[in-house]
Amino acid sequence: MKIILVGFGVIGRGVAKVIDEKKKLLKEKYGFEPKIVAICDSSGAAIDESGLDLKKAIEVKEKTGKIANYNGKKISSVEVIESIDADVVVEATPTNIKTGEPARTHILKAFENGKHVVTANKGPLALYFKELVESAEKHGVMFRYEASVGGAMPIINLAKETLAGNEIKSIKGILNGTTNYILTKMEKEKLDFNTVLKEAQELGIAETDPSQDIYGYDTAAKIVILANSIMGMNKTIDDVKIEGITRITPEAIELANKSGYTIKLIGEVKKNKLVVEPRLVQLDSPLNVKGTLNVAMFNTDLAKEVVIVGRGAGATETASAILSDLINIHLKVKEK
Amino acid sequence: MITLDLELKDIPGELIKALTPISKLGANIISVIHLREQKSNGRVPVKVVIDNVDNEKLKKIVDELEKHDVIVAKIGDDERKINLDVVVIGHVVDTDVRDTIDRINEIGLVVDLDLIMPDPYKESSARMRIVIDKEKLEELYNLLDKISKEKDLLFIKSC
Repeated sequence: MKIILVGFGVIGRGVAKVIDEKKKLLKEKYGFEPKIVAICDSSGAAIDESGLDLKKAIEVKEKTGKIANYNGKKISSVEVIESIDADVVVEATPTNIKTGEPARTHILKAFENGKHVVTANKGPLALYFKELVESAEKHGVMFRYEASVGGAMPIINLAKETLAGNEIKSIKGILNGTTNYILTKMEKEKLDFNTVLKEAQELGIAETDPSQDIYGYDTAAKIVILANSIMGMNKTIDDVKIEGITRITPEAIELANKSGYTIKLIGEVKKNKLVVEPRLVQLDSPLNVKGTLNVAMFNTDLAKEVVIVGRGAGATETASAILSDLINIHLKVKEK
Repeated sequence: MITLDLELKDIPGELIKALTPISKLGANIISVIHLREQKSNGRVPVKVVIDNVDNEKLKKIVDELEKHDVIVAKIGDDERKINLDVVVIGHVVDTDVRDTIDRINEIGLVVDLDLIMPDPYKESSARMRIVIDKEKLEELYNLLDKISKEKDLLFIKSC
């Protein structure tokens, strides 16, 4: 399988690293031999149709900040997607929740050129889900996006494949590790929101601009993806009622604790209703996961409640979900 | 037999107050189980088992009990009332807490209020326990949304 990797930040490098490290196992277990033939970032691209040296590519990027320094090609990512022969495009550029670009263009170009797409990018999925899915269908290619929600947790594929035959009535959970870390810390140390946010930023758990997380937009984007992909809705982020965690006080958590609850930022999809808001969660509920962990609870007609807990972010964790999508495409192509 | 799950205030004389209307209306009390260890928010759950009575009489009993400030949480397996905990953040007192409670009481009943004001200028936090008919839950949520917009209060509902 020939792969074009678009975006070589933390996630992109995580994917390259995992593919490089798992080479032997992938071949033995699945007969899967992924070959990254091009890597693009904003500086240009490294291209080698016989397969790039991934260790070298990571080193070049980490030392110089530009993948173009690998073998010096100033070529745009769109040109690479159009001109380089490959089976799959892995889209790993940073998420833009307002425009969905440049990922949307990358994905559509890949489909037009008959390439399957695997992405971790929430932006285009939360804004243009229908357009993307229809384009993939029209061009007869596969589109997979497990890594976009819940990082390493296999949420989408669990619902679509493993729980197949079940009607999923609702999904709710904690889909943002940063806010969960902040609330957990506020509860444990009785500190106010701003103090804990600052500390989280120093630790690199919260970003310098944490607004996507703390105002609930990141969770909202994920809820939209789940609503569309698992529950067959056609929603965008504008359809979500959103309230973040900035007003939560340590006293509120203390009062919640007194009556057997804690406060968590919960995203929920049910019957056409999409909500992100702080909620009281019973202390002994499986939804009460701590620190940066994520959790999702499905309510289904046959299996009733199914809960899945895992790491929602991180390079290797996200790469794990991308790799599972790649293997899945490989196996489906092999079946044909 | 019909089992009534009641919730009584934890003060002397309450049990008698609950049992009197039941027997006055002619229902035979078979058993009374006082669940003192399950006390929460100042209310003690009591299970009262009575002989079968017709629906009309049952309704009279329930009405009479509610008049005496006894919460009838369950009749048989039918859960009638829900104990709903809500945490509120904002200028809870300054935005006329009395009015907030009165409006909630039109749909349910605020049975407990716990308030922390760390600083007169900062937002305070409160916890309310509201007892409400199961079927009125949606109505209450709509009211809370309305009050939330009017008074800039954040209501944190249970999951």
